Amino acid sequence: MNDRYSRQTLFPPIGKPGQEKISSKHVVMIGAGALGSGNAEVLVRAGVGRLTIIDRDYVEGSNLQRQQLYTEEDVAEKLPKAAAAEKRLKAINSEVEIRGIIGDATPEVLAELAEGTDLIIDSTDNFETRMAINDIAQKYKIPWIYGACVASFGMSFTIIPGETPCLNCLLKTIPIQGLTCDTGGIIGPAVQMVIAHQTAEALKVLVEDWEAVRTSFVSFDLWRNQYSSMKMSRAKDPHCLSCGDHPEYPYLNADYRAKTTILCGRDTVQIRPPHQRGVNLQEMAGRIKALGYDVKGNPYLISAEMGPNRFVLFQDGRALIHGTKDTAQAKSLYNRLLG
Amino acid sequence: MNKILFFAHLRDEAGEESISLDAEGKTVEELKQMVAEQYQMKRLDSVMTAINEEFAPGDEVIKAGDVIAFIPPVSGG
Repeated sequence: MNDRYSRQTLFPPIGKPGQEKISSKHVVMIGAGALGSGNAEVLVRAGVGRLTIIDRDYVEGSNLQRQQLYTEEDVAEKLPKAAAAEKRLKAINSEVEIRGIIGDATPEVLAELAEGTDLIIDSTDNFETRMAINDIAQKYKIPWIYGACVASFGMSFTIIPGETPCLNCLLKTIPIQGLTCDTGGIIGPAVQMVIAHQTAEALKVLVEDWEAVRTSFVSFDLWRNQYSSMKMSRAKDPHCLSCGDHPEYPYLNADYRAKTTILCGRDTVQIRPPHQRGVNLQEMAGRIKALGYDVKGNPYLISAEMGPNRFVLFQDGRALIHGTKDTAQAKSLYNRLLG
Repeated sequence: MNKILFFAHLRDEAGEESISLDAEGKTVEELKQMVAEQYQMKRLDSVMTAINEEFAPGDEVIKAGDVIAFIPPVSGG
């Protein structure tokens, strides 16, 4: 297929030299959900040299409305997303070296992948992983692109180590109790809009057109017709522990991570968040009920039957997930509900 | 006076798309507390703030006429 990339190389900022650069680069995609599916498809079609995609979940029926790489067959087979994505992406473009990794994107895994990675694309669903990506990106000087969405709202920001502020400059701490797609819902166009922003930035980074990289933090609400572009020139914090003058990369440290413990003989995983989150139990109960589950509660905890699992959440953000010994599955359920 | 814009789910929590109030001389942190109390919203600690479309740190002092936007970071993906 000699003319495979002809329309892309006709675009002057890419051209033939840009295409050669794209095909020599390695992109790591963290997450293979809605954003991960779409981002991966765009980059694989664009002819990126190598794509590694990591995810800990398997395909479920409620994914199909927006997660564009998956089919009903994948749901029936309960295929891990990383495996289903790898298969589909290889069918789309056999020239790209594609590797799916089934598992948790822990700081250790991210560090192993860092060598030889030109760009990291955030397609995850939680801030714990994003802060780890942020620290790895700073430590190994890898550009990364934040993207997130919920309901009809989405946002993206491109982080270039040594140039732009980092995610820790902006947030300072892991945000508490954010809305997630499992609690606030999500529509396909919000996903696609974030993907468009992330992949446009990705192409700029891959062809090394640094001047074209967007320096503002973009956010939009497609239903309420809001679009905001926030200038970030004053956001860089010289004392930031991730990108400041004396970086410590705090989120690579185990103390900052949610602790998961498998409770022996109880078929239960306990998840303890790194900070006391102060969860509003009544509100969480309402959100889980809205998903169609039976929720019981008292002032100290709420308990919900969710398929084979029982989810028990305490006021300090600690949770017990009964009916599993799989920590990745338990963390996945936790992050889907609490972000 | 200052105009304050709410993004995403903050708009539902506040019940308004935007409000007007006098925040001159207050820091961003102080304004967040004040708004959260008046509109019975959850804590706005982790919400990003833009003043006149530029990112503003928590200790930034608000001037008359500044337009302030509260943008909550979201985590879905």
